[in-house]
Formats: sequence, C-alpha cells, structure tokens
Amino acid sequence: MGDTESFLHLARPLGPAPVGAQPSTAPLSVVIQPQAVFSILDHSLRRPADQDRVIGTLLGTRTEDGTEVEIRNCYAVPHTETAEQVEVDMDYQKQMLALHLRANPREVLVGWYATSSELNTFSALIQNFYSQQGDGTFPHPAVHLTVSTVPGKDIEARTYISAPIGVTAERAADSCLFIPVPHELKYGEAEKSGLELISGAKDREDRSQGILTDIEALERAVQHVLDMLERVSNYVNNVLDEEATPSSALGQFLMNALSLAPKVDPQDIERDFNNHIQDVLVVSYLANTIRTQIDLSNRLATAALTMGTGDPLGGAAGDGERKEGGGGRGRGGRGRGGGNRGDRNNNRDRESEQ
Amino acid sequence: MPAPTTTLLIEGTFEELVEELATYIDNLKKAHGDEDSNIQAECTALLAENKKDDVLKKLVTGSATLNEAPEKEFIAAYNLLVHLTRQSPNLNMFLPRVCQNLSAPVRSSPANGAGLALSILSTVFNTLQPDNDNRYHVFLAILSVVRRSANFETLRPQLKHLDQWLAAWDMDEEDQRKLYLAIVEVATVAGEEEHAYQYLVRALRTIPSDELSTPESQQLSLRALKSALTHPTHFDFQDLTALDTIQALRNSHPIYFQLLEIFTADLLDDFNDFKDEHDGWIEEQELDADALNRKMRLLTLASIAASTGQTRSLPYAHIAKALQIPSSDVEMWVIDVIRAGLVEGKLSQLTQTFLIHRSTYRVFGENQWREVASRLDMWRNSLVGVLQVIQMEKASFIQMKDAENKEIEAKLNGATSGRAGGFSRLRKEEPELE
Repeated sequence: MGDTESFLHLARPLGPAPVGAQPSTAPLSVVIQPQAVFSILDHSLRRPADQDRVIGTLLGTRTEDGTEVEIRNCYAVPHTETAEQVEVDMDYQKQMLALHLRANPREVLVGWYATSSELNTFSALIQNFYSQQGDGTFPHPAVHLTVSTVPGKDIEARTYISAPIGVTAERAADSCLFIPVPHELKYGEAEKSGLELISGAKDREDRSQGILTDIEALERAVQHVLDMLERVSNYVNNVLDEEATPSSALGQFLMNALSLAPKVDPQDIERDFNNHIQDVLVVSYLANTIRTQIDLSNRLATAALTMGTGDPLGGAAGDGERKEGGGGRGRGGRGRGGGNRGDRNNNRDRESEQ
Repeated sequence: MPAPTTTLLIEGTFEELVEELATYIDNLKKAHGDEDSNIQAECTALLAENKKDDVLKKLVTGSATLNEAPEKEFIAAYNLLVHLTRQSPNLNMFLPRVCQNLSAPVRSSPANGAGLALSILSTVFNTLQPDNDNRYHVFLAILSVVRRSANFETLRPQLKHLDQWLAAWDMDEEDQRKLYLAIVEVATVAGEEEHAYQYLVRALRTIPSDELSTPESQQLSLRALKSALTHPTHFDFQDLTALDTIQALRNSHPIYFQLLEIFTADLLDDFNDFKDEHDGWIEEQELDADALNRKMRLLTLASIAASTGQTRSLPYAHIAKALQIPSSDVEMWVIDVIRAGLVEGKLSQLTQTFLIHRSTYRVFGENQWREVASRLDMWRNSLVGVLQVIQMEKASFIQMKDAENKEIEAKLNGATSGRAGGFSRLRKEEPELE
C-alpha cells in the first residue's frame, strides 16, 4: 500500500487537553498492525451482497500525548445504509467494546474503519459518533481508517482524523472535516516471512504451499543475496567501463558496507577457532554424558516399575530379586545399573515390610 | 485511485452557510468594538442578486477578524470559510487573501496560534488538487508560519515529498529556488544547520548556466561554501565541487576556491602552506580558524587511514607527524575521527598502532571503484562456495532419508513374512543379553 498520496499533515485540531497537560497541536501518526487489516478484509468479504461498505470499530493503543496511535485489533459493527439514512447498532457496539476491553484491558477505542475509500456525510455522522464525549474517543480525535476493497485492484488504506466545521452547534453536529494523517503498516520479521510463505500459494492451482525446511530457507537466502550481489556488481562494472555515471555517495556506501568485516590477523582467527572447537568438544562430551545418564535413569525407572508389580507377595519375592540384582553386578558393563536396581528394590522391600 | 479531495463534509445550502458565517463574523466584530459591521445584510443583498463571488469577497475580507475568534471556534469557523470558497469557480482569487490572513498571528491564542494557522493552511493545501500550482503559494505561506514559530520539527517529515510536489506543480527554476531558500531560512532559524545546507545546495542546483556569475548566485555559492567549511560535522565536499556555480567561483573568488580544493583532497601541510601564503585572510573573511584547523586534522587523518592499503594499520608516530600533534594526543584525535564517522577501527596501545576496519575516501576515484568490484567478487565467490556446501548437504540428506525409508520398508516386508522377522528381532536382542 504505497504512500504516494500528496498531503500535508502539520497540525491536528486543537482538542480539549487531558487534565494537567497543555493542549497541543502536535501532528499525529498512525501505525497499523496487519492483523487488523486482515480482519477488515475478511469482514469485507463476508458483507451482505446489497451493502457497498461495512464498518467496524478499531482498537489499539495511544501514546500519552496522543501523537502516535497504534491500531491493533478491530471488530465488525452491523449497520445499514440507504440513500436517506444510516443506522448503526450502537447497543451492539457498546456491548462488544465492553467485552473486548474486559479481554484486552490495555487496548482502548481509537476509531472506526470503513471498507471503501469514499467519504460522505454519513461518514461524518459516524465519525462524530465515535469521537463524542462519553462513549467515544474524546478528548482524543477518533481515527478513521478507510480500506478500499475493489476486486482486482490494489488495496489502499488511508487514515483520517477529524476537525469540526460550521459556526453553529446544530451544523457542527452532523458535519466534519476529515484531515488525512500519515500511516504506516508495521509488521515484524516473523509475520513477514509467514506472509511471504502464504502469498506463495496465490499463484498455484491447488492453493497449497509446502513449508520450507531450515536448510532450504538458508539456500534460498544465499541465492537471494547472490542475485543482489550480481546486480550491484553489474552496476560497478558499468561504472568501471564508463557506461554508467559514477555516484561517489553510492560508492562510499558500498565501500562502507563491504568493509564491515573487522580486521583480524589470520593467526588470531586460527587460534580463536581452535579454542572454540575445544569448547564445542567439551560441550558435546558433556551433552553425551548427560544423555547417557538420562537414558540410564529412564531404564531404571521402568525396570523398577515392571518388577515392582511382582511385589505384593512380600519379602520373599523381594529377596529373590535382590539376588538377581546382586547377580547383575557381576555382569560387566551393566553392573552398576544392576546394583542400583538391587538397592532400590531393597528400599522398597524395607518399606513394604514396615 | 487518488485520495478523495472532498474531505469537507457539511450539509446545508450555500446560502444558509453564508448567512451563518456572516452572522458569526458580525458578532465577533461587534464583540471587539466594531459596532457598524453588517456583513450579513450586505451578503443577503448580494445573494439575492446571485453574485456568489462578491459574497465570498466580502466574507474573505471580513475573515481577518477570525483571528480574534476563541481558539475552540477558530478551526470550525475557518473550515466553513474554506468550504465556501471551494464552491466558487474562482477559488484562486481568494486564496492569497486567506493565506495572508492566516500568516498574521492569531491573537486569541498566543500559545497555539501557529498550530491553528498551520492546521487550516494544511487543509487548504490538501483540498487543492495535487497538481494545482496554487499549492506552491499555500506552501510558502506555511513556511512563513513555520518560520515564525520556529517549528521546523513538524515540517521536517513532510519535506520528503517536496520533489514529488515540485514535479507535480511544474514549477520553473526561479520559483523552485525561492522555495528552497525559504526552507533554508526556516531551517536556519530553527538552528538546523545541516538541513539548511542541504537545501542551499539544492537551491544552487536550480541556477541556470547562463546566470552563473550573477552577484546573486555568487553570494549563494559563497554562503554554501562557508557553511560547509565551518560546519562541524560536514566532511564531504564533493557535492559542492560538482556544482557549476561553485566552479564559477574559480574565477571570481580564487582564494575561496583554493581553500575548497584543499578541503576536498589535500592534507594539513597544504592547509598550513595556504595559511602562510594568505596571512590574515581567514580572519578577514570571518571564518572560524580553530574550526577549520580541527576539521583539516580530522580530514587528514581520514586520508592517511584510507591510504594505508592492505596493511590497514597506522603507527601512532605516523599519525602524530601528519597531524602535527604530540604523540600523547594521538588517541584523542583518533577517537574524534571515529566519532565523526570518517574511520572505524581499533586502537592497540600495546603495539602503538591504529588498526583500521573502514575508512572514508575523500575522493572516490576509479581505484576505489575497482576495490569495490574486487570485494564484491570475493564476497560472491565465498557465497557460491557456501551454496555448494549447502546443496551437497541437502543432497546427502535426501539420500540418507531415502536409504532410511528403504530400510524401514525392508523391515516391514520382513515382518509380514513371519518367521524371518522373528529371527531378525532375536538377533537384534542378542548383544544386549551378553
């Protein structure tokens, strides 16, 4: 969703300030988490056939001074629109909000979304509803997010806040000015690679996509870097052949990037490497020892159980087993384990005797 | 799909709205001692004759009073005015006046006046079509408000769109320069020397080649040169030397040009020679001699660091000699250079050398490009090696898996054939029993 529109956002309308702070007109910016967008798109797909757009409530967090709003979550709100009037299920909205706030106490109401880029007087009405005192976002401006969902076209998202317009109270109640504000879609590394994987399925007939193993992912990444290197070295060769105009800033940048490898003596590397290998060997030795121990104790535990079941007969059976345990000691490699087994059985015998 | 420009959503006819606004302005004027204001009656009369433009003229003229409006009502009232002026086909006629009114201080709100004015101006700006060159004039008005309120921080994130806007407005070079210089002023007032310098250079680029030696362009060039020389964190002079206007200084101000050349590529010794040659010139031109000396030392160190080649290490004694400083100060200077971002590396007190990881080349010539190419090749070759290893491992992994599968299959087959399976299990248990 390209940020290609040209608008200017320098100041938000002067709102009533929270207690103890100066009212401010500092500009505002909006961060959108992808899960909210997905939920909106999903809602748009499931809308009734006769409705052009559907709306819903946006939830998220707001910094203390209100200059940064993060949209994290949303839910749909049913509404009907005709040429003359718009109806929003306000009770539903209130109930849902209360339930949501109970589940996510950290999130607050930040605004609403609509699944069409169009703004009309109904938008103004709904916007005023969301920014009103009491149930709305007051004293902060409500954020309005429009996500265009025209099939076959790119999805475009826009964010607005609103300012009052009109000099009389009645006029101001059903009208408002939408001020475009900059927004940013933010997603983490994990989300990005997950989405890349999912979007890989969109060109396939069966809509399925295998999951890469680690080594395949590594191979792909190396391939990717190789491609990028190819591009860069093409450019550099063109510069050397005087086919492209050199940009010294670019050259300097490349040089800096390529010099990121620290300067170290080869002897130092070898020494450090050897030290490291020794560390690795020790770790692997210890790990093996521990594994053996665990294995052993597992076997002992199960062995004790299977033999313990034969116990109800009492001391005599126990004695017999002790002998067997003793015999085990003589059997070389597994002697110690056998010994232990014997001891443990002894304990158990004593317990059953008491 | 372009963003909708109709963001002002208000119901009501033109006449009703005009009436409301006129009444509001009248009340406001009366509250401030202007008893005989009667815009409303005039407007009603004009409306009856259907002269919308005249009505708007009256309103816009009267709107100077809006600067007295209480800050809570200011935005709402002004938005209404903007909405009304947008109804007129002759919108351009009213914009200069509106901008002028908004550039005047908002008297009712000394603390947030600039913010309020900016908010309305940006609304005016946004409601114009993106390729409407009136946006240019509105933007100049915005700059003047920003300048007065020293509010550069709010403006800065928006400046990245500037090139796009200028392209959309199709401005000629004269106007572009005016805009850039206005930004330079704003940045200078806000104390953002680095930004001011960047836009100064941009302004210089707009000077056409036949005006290179006009006094105006010379003055601008000298200004850019001086701020580049004395700015504490600016070390790249190549963008300046590439400018035609700066090259034109070679004839008009040869001494300045000589100084620039020294700062572009030469070392401290050359600078000292220059100072001997033009004794007292630096003081005469009111340049900060200490700052120049310091900068020259940093640049010299960067140069000798870049010229070390494959050894990539510099003995302390060498640095001390090149910078003409006592060897006890070497470490401080090296740290300063690292802080300036010209060089990266480590100091080894044990061997009294400076090990260089990365150094900046003051002049990026063909040799440096060759070096980049060779390093790229090296990187690519090692990556190809890594890739081979990965592919090999992958192939052997697949092979192993196949073999394993086959084994399992064989076992399954064996199990179904009864006795043979039992036998093999027996054999497997044998070593455990022993």
